[in-house]
Amino acid sequence: MTEEDSSAKMSEDVKRYLKLDPRSAAASEPPPAAALANKSRNFKSFEPPCPDHVLENVLENVLQFLTSRCDRNAVSLVCKSWWRVESQTRFEVFIGNCYSLSPARLTHRFKRVRSLVLKGKPRFADFNLMPPNWGAQFAPWVVATAKAYPWLEKVHLKRMLVTDDDLALLADSFPGFKDLTLVCCEGFGTSGIAVVANKCRQLRVLDLLESEVTDDEVDWISCFPAGETHLESLSFDCVESPINFKALEGLVVRSPFLKKLRTNRFVSLEELHRLMVRAPQLTSLGTGSFSPDNVPQGAQEPDYAAAFRACKSISCLSGFRELTPEYLPAISPVCANLTSLNFSYANISPDMLKPIIRNCHNIRVFWALDSICDEGLQAVAATCKELRELRVFPFDPREDSEGPISGVGLQAISEGCRKLESILYFCQRMTNGAVTAMSENCPQLTVFRLCIMGRHRPDHVTGKPMDDGFGAIVKNCKKLTRLAVSGLLTDEAFSYIGEYGKLIRTLSVAFAGNSDKALRYVLEGCPKLQKLEIRDSPFGDAGLRSGMHRYCNMRFVWLSSCALSRGCCRDVAHALPNVVVEVFGSDDDYDDTVIVDYVETMYLYRSLDGPRKDAPKFVTIL
Amino acid sequence: MEGCHRNGEIAPKLLDLNLMITQESRRPWFHDDENSVFNTEERKLELKLGPPGGEDEHASSIIRHFKKEPKDKSILSLAGKHFSSSPSSTKTTSHKRTAPGPVVGWPPVRSFRKNLASGSSSKLGNDSTTSNGVALKNQKCDDDAKIMEPMRQGGMFVKINMYGVPIGRKVDLSVHDSYEQLSYTVDKLFRGLLAAQRDLSSSVEDEKPITGLLDGNGEYTLTYEDNEGDKMLVGDVPWQMFVSSVKRLRVIKTSEISSALTYGNGKQEKMRR
Repeated sequence: MTEEDSSAKMSEDVKRYLKLDPRSAAASEPPPAAALANKSRNFKSFEPPCPDHVLENVLENVLQFLTSRCDRNAVSLVCKSWWRVESQTRFEVFIGNCYSLSPARLTHRFKRVRSLVLKGKPRFADFNLMPPNWGAQFAPWVVATAKAYPWLEKVHLKRMLVTDDDLALLADSFPGFKDLTLVCCEGFGTSGIAVVANKCRQLRVLDLLESEVTDDEVDWISCFPAGETHLESLSFDCVESPINFKALEGLVVRSPFLKKLRTNRFVSLEELHRLMVRAPQLTSLGTGSFSPDNVPQGAQEPDYAAAFRACKSISCLSGFRELTPEYLPAISPVCANLTSLNFSYANISPDMLKPIIRNCHNIRVFWALDSICDEGLQAVAATCKELRELRVFPFDPREDSEGPISGVGLQAISEGCRKLESILYFCQRMTNGAVTAMSENCPQLTVFRLCIMGRHRPDHVTGKPMDDGFGAIVKNCKKLTRLAVSGLLTDEAFSYIGEYGKLIRTLSVAFAGNSDKALRYVLEGCPKLQKLEIRDSPFGDAGLRSGMHRYCNMRFVWLSSCALSRGCCRDVAHALPNVVVEVFGSDDDYDDTVIVDYVETMYLYRSLDGPRKDAPKFVTIL
Repeated sequence: MEGCHRNGEIAPKLLDLNLMITQESRRPWFHDDENSVFNTEERKLELKLGPPGGEDEHASSIIRHFKKEPKDKSILSLAGKHFSSSPSSTKTTSHKRTAPGPVVGWPPVRSFRKNLASGSSSKLGNDSTTSNGVALKNQKCDDDAKIMEPMRQGGMFVKINMYGVPIGRKVDLSVHDSYEQLSYTVDKLFRGLLAAQRDLSSSVEDEKPITGLLDGNGEYTLTYEDNEGDKMLVGDVPWQMFVSSVKRLRVIKTSEISSALTYGNGKQEKMRR
């Protein structure tokens, strides 16, 4: 499960420790004296404990401070004794692919886990490219950890299948449980949430983000126990069912530590007002619908701006699910303090945006719909000099929609927001010039994801492929770790990526390239590549074979609707025993008489414990 | 096309956009013939606004699809519009078909971000939307109406509760194609349960049929909760539009209609429980 390879550089404290006692680096096995020393201690002899034993104790105390998993992975490779001590002191475990190892291996190696981060399905599953019931069940993990780590405090899951039973087991098994975060998960409902709310008495964080939550008609908010809670963060904006507002209000009142509250769209503006009045200490607020329930009657209307003024600590604002525009100015009092603003569910025009954004000098994260147009982006560029992350989603996410933003907005942002580190930009037309400008103006970029929605679209001014633009990005943005490409791209673009993308860990490709050469460029270059996801591109067996030398060092490779043959996938599977190769989506699942060699989807990943046992019928593991 | 697949050796050079397009529309991958897939798609999409003949076929093939993909939707919407010009490069303009086929999962936007254009979000509108913004929205509604969103297991099951019956049932809307059919099913589902509630020793003969659900004449009326959380009377909109927006059903006493529906929103209704 080591995420990084051993070439990751160690942190300063580890280096210092090594210098202090060079002998420890040489020891590969504690000599028998250690065992004797243990025994002798029992007899209260005066024989001093073996130096290695002392070392382990000291090491344990030192390693407790080491939190970065890269560093920990490096430490564990020094020698067996260090490996052992590191295993005993790792409290937070991160597993990037739940199928890369079995739960038994986790519980066998790490004995004192307090926090578990698990990721399941690959990202393309979000776009319906993966059949339902593919896997990534939380169940075996919760069963194993329930036995092994009764002190578990935190579980953070992404793209996993979680059932109500799993949640019930979790709530029952971990009396000190503090933090449940479910991102892009599914398979559970409000009844599962209710059990967690009710039984996890130490709960501090309950964050449901972008997950599918079935409406079981359970009033889960009422299931929080009476009396003061420890809640610090409650996010349920993705829950698509009404909630008992009175219960929510009561909960907020008795949660003095609550800092983050993200309500869903069933909370009206009036209700939001009541919540804000009761929780002025909030730092992060998800505003629900931001639309009044009843048509206001003159003086009866609550003073929303005053409520915002009273919440002096708000730095993060989101929601606006059903925004009634004339109420938007109510947020003005908090604009100057905002560091994060999410308008991505609100159909906001440039004219609606400008008076608001004008005051948001401290914004670092801004999400919006393309309804703000290039003009809105120019306004952002003019004010938000501290912007680090920008995401612009399409209001009308279809290939042939009008697309109100373009290279103009991108260029404006690049000129105004020089500290930009991460961008996700959906548009219908783009130019190499704008992309190149961004590569030159924003050297801090680590994430560049451009989605030109019309497939194979070239530069709309010159008609040329987008090769030069993306080439400039990889050449100039030396810190780039994540790249998503789109538009018309030839193999040349990929030669740039392979050559200059030295730090790229994640690469997403769709409808791009001319031939296997493109895939080869990437697999023979990009030394840090971990996650490769490709769809609908003309890459075939030769391309796949060119990466054989590195698949066991990558988290996963996804190729769908490309030109792979089953035979080649099988060859890869046989050649690399530590790599699991799954294929699905081919015809022969449905029609036994036709043996088709074409592979619709191939998903390969490294695994310490071999192929999984829970694969559904339509998945073939070669 | 077929030959390419059967060979197993697909020389990348041979792949042109044509193949890629048909690959995309291969998404119902139980079909063999490339060409017929696309034609079948077109035929399916030429299907109607009204209750159709091939409804079940449509439903079962959607079941095979990965869930919730507005693929069909985008073909329909492409039908009447001009296509984005794919200029210059020879590779891209070589495709014979005028429209690029609809594609699963493209653009890569998660499903919960997809319905903003047709949802209730734009209350007072945004003037700078497209000039045919209104037309767009209407069309989207129609497209929505055609798309049934099957649940994970296939079929479109919604919960249905009835006043006076503590146990709920589930109804598969995908096997119904009219309100009359639905009404009949409701009667079938609840007749026995209702009689049992009234009188534990009731026999089959004592069971009264549940009628008049749709016209306000019966003792009970059928209502539903839509995707915006509002309570609505069943029967006002075309069947497909109903199916695309219904989230659950409720059979209430006709005498309760004024009070049950006055509060307007489902959420207020819930608070009062």
